[in-house]
Amino acid sequence: MIIAAIALMFAAASDPNPLVGRWETKPSPKGNVTGLYMKADSSFEGFFNKKPFVTGTYTYRDSLLSFVDNGCNRTRGLYKVIFFSEGDSMRFEPISDTCTERRNGMSKTIMGRLK
Amino acid sequence: MLTFLFMNASSESDEPANKEELGKLLFFDPILSATKTISCASCHKPEFAFADNAPVSVGVNNRKGTRNTPSAMNLRSHEKFFWDGRAATLQEQALAPIENPAEMNLPLDIAVGRLQNNQRYNNYFRKIFNSRPTKALLADAIAAFELTLETTDSPFDNWKYYDDSTRVSEAVRRGFEVFNGNGKCVKCHFGSDLTQNEFRNIGLFNGRQLNDSGRYGFTKNKEDIGKFKTPGLRNIAVTAPYMHNGMFKTLKEVIDFYDNPARKVPRAINRDTILVKPLGLTKREKADLESFLLSLTDKQFLKQGK
Repeated sequence: MIIAAIALMFAAASDPNPLVGRWETKPSPKGNVTGLYMKADSSFEGFFNKKPFVTGTYTYRDSLLSFVDNGCNRTRGLYKVIFFSEGDSMRFEPISDTCTERRNGMSKTIMGRLK
Repeated sequence: MLTFLFMNASSESDEPANKEELGKLLFFDPILSATKTISCASCHKPEFAFADNAPVSVGVNNRKGTRNTPSAMNLRSHEKFFWDGRAATLQEQALAPIENPAEMNLPLDIAVGRLQNNQRYNNYFRKIFNSRPTKALLADAIAAFELTLETTDSPFDNWKYYDDSTRVSEAVRRGFEVFNGNGKCVKCHFGSDLTQNEFRNIGLFNGRQLNDSGRYGFTKNKEDIGKFKTPGLRNIAVTAPYMHNGMFKTLKEVIDFYDNPARKVPRAINRDTILVKPLGLTKREKADLESFLLSLTDKQFLKQGK
């Protein structure tokens, strides 16, 4: 029993963070593409048409993404991440975010993993 | 015969394949000014990131404008145009300087008439738009060209995109921290082109020597007195002089101004609350901030040694 619990804890600790990697939206009708680079060191970069536009730090646990970036007066955003297509696509469901512009943007965003 | 072949080849190489290339031809062609001496590129100079290196540009018959010529690059993310935001679209913006008496001073009907009477342009418009030249198509072509002027190859871009901090110096990395922190720059200059496309009063309106009321002149809304569009910062190293009136010659002057706006303009009216108190940046923070701003220069301009 104890061994099983330790094994489970070990498995949880070594679970790779499913967010880590590069993600992109499909081109919008105007051809704009938003990109996200989620790094293993808990930092991230956002891109708009390959131009950096946001930088920040995040934590991810139990499907919840909590982050602070250099916009939105450094207020924290909390979102549920919903993975689909075998983890190769994701969308965000706002839990709490006082930054309306960011909330509106993220709520509409669907991203696919870059391979 | 040989001469004819060469002439033919030369005219064909000039022929635009699409509306972006047609827009480029028009952008550089003085046919759109009253005196046929000024083109869009006379003020939006390619070597200065399609901005001007004079405080205000010189139009037809040596007439001077009243505001600094902004860069025509990296406009894809912009929402309103001109320092006062009076143009809602890039197409609308593209036509205004043609008619402006201090710029190209040519009524649009005459400009379009010139293109219609020009066999070369007539053919190009028909081939690309299946129409003779019109105001709307002229605007569409110039705007389409301007939208090709995106730059994404600066040291800053490469640092972030390739996650490679060696692409920039330590000073640049520290400067980015100042930009996002003590400098408060990011509060207005946030986004892929380092602007939120807002209108702000940074304290360059005092109703006396500095008497351009900015967006107020367009909206007549008192809250807009002294507000100007926050410009993007890409390629800022090559777009001096700075501010809506070109009053600062260097980035150092700009940074010193923001550090303590009241020292430069003591009785500014309605200065933004972000700038009410001096920033109090250290000498090193200012130098680092300048290094960061220089890192926003695209490689095409770094190569020309500007």
